Amino acid sequence: MKYVCSYCGYVYDEEAGDPKNGIAPGTKWEDVPEDWVCPICGAPKEAFIAQ
Amino acid sequence: MYCIRKVTEDVTWIGADDRRLAMFEGVYSVPKGVSYNSYLLLDEKAVLFDTVDKAVGRVFFENLAHVLAGRPLEYVIVQHMEPDHSATLAELLLRHPETEVVCSEKSAMMIGQFFSEDYSRRIRIVKEGETLSAGKHQLTFYSAPMVHWPEVMVTYDHADKILFSADAFGTFGALNGAVFADEMDFFGDYLDEARRYYANIIGKYSLPVQQLLKKAAGLDIAMVCPLHGPVWRKDFAAYLEKYRKWSAYEPEEAGVMIAYASIYGNTENAANILACRLSEKGVRTVMFDVSVTPASEIIAAAFKWSHLVFAAPTYNMGVFVTMDALLRDLAAHAIQNRTVMILENGSWAPASGKLMREILGGLKGVTILEETLTLKSSLRENQMEELFAAADVIAASVEAGKSGISQAEA
Repeated sequence: MKYVCSYCGYVYDEEAGDPKNGIAPGTKWEDVPEDWVCPICGAPKEAFIAQ
Repeated sequence: MYCIRKVTEDVTWIGADDRRLAMFEGVYSVPKGVSYNSYLLLDEKAVLFDTVDKAVGRVFFENLAHVLAGRPLEYVIVQHMEPDHSATLAELLLRHPETEVVCSEKSAMMIGQFFSEDYSRRIRIVKEGETLSAGKHQLTFYSAPMVHWPEVMVTYDHADKILFSADAFGTFGALNGAVFADEMDFFGDYLDEARRYYANIIGKYSLPVQQLLKKAAGLDIAMVCPLHGPVWRKDFAAYLEKYRKWSAYEPEEAGVMIAYASIYGNTENAANILACRLSEKGVRTVMFDVSVTPASEIIAAAFKWSHLVFAAPTYNMGVFVTMDALLRDLAAHAIQNRTVMILENGSWAPASGKLMREILGGLKGVTILEETLTLKSSLRENQMEELFAAADVIAASVEAGKSGISQAEA
């Protein structure tokens, strides 16, 4: 699954994760910590919508 | 000649008003002007909080030179890199080769993007919760991403209990000498401009605003110094309550905003009759011709009122241009929690109602009433009953929503 930041368009791809910010590839969206923020604009997880 | 105001013993406002600007950000009219605030703290170190727009650069540099009176400027804290607060940064660094820039990592990136000179050796990147000492003033930085750019941070001064809040709590409107909110009739003369600023500039980013409000709630704040509009040292709670409401997309007032587009006055006529009927029923109603009133005012009104009526003709198989632009703008600002009624017009193939529904359809908490009144060229006598029925539905819905609004105020 992929999730899009509604503020800047960054796509969180579960397959790729966000390793630069400590989210391993394959991390399911629900397992991404609540304090993780969009690496481009800093938006909170709640600002993401399922693609 | 310098034009400054003392904010505290150690902090001086060295910003300026601009009353000649036609369009802020090239899109928002500012008939009452706008202020660009910059603050200078003199302690063991001299610390500048942001610079100003290029339009007021001359007086800003006169102000800075006067207050510094020959002292070196050790730090400039860049809280927000938008050019209305940073356009004069390059000249500042040229005039003050001793000055170090203190900012977030994303601000440092943007400094490299906005200016051609390489300032990387003069930049100190600070992180969430980091503190800089100016002497007796300890300054702690908190990130405030997307309020309303990603690089934004705010600063808390422990000595004077000041929150330097960047664009948060800012407003359109020149200060006209009154640097403090308690020196003006803020809630009478500035609130509409504050709402227009919030709705249009920050309105989409209410989640980050709420996060910032949570961070601020943990601080003992005696004064708030934003980058536009007045400094708060009294009655801040009342303004904070407005911010809480706006950022929760809660309506401030129970009533109806009617925004209509009309080519030859027929859609306007139906909107006027609806407004008369609503007023007769005791429902507070405001009206805008979307081809006349700037979109930013209508978007601000949409953040204020509980119920919204949009009335527009069909045009080139679409929604009439000015209404189409307004609705897309409103959707881009992610308004929530409103009740909407649609009125369409079309002389041979009315389609604007369906299309307006589509634009607003995905918005969270927005209920579009099922009734869509369709005019064919103009309102007919036999449609009056239908229009009155629509007014009854809106009036009942306004009444039903009132308890929620008064509870939120209590």
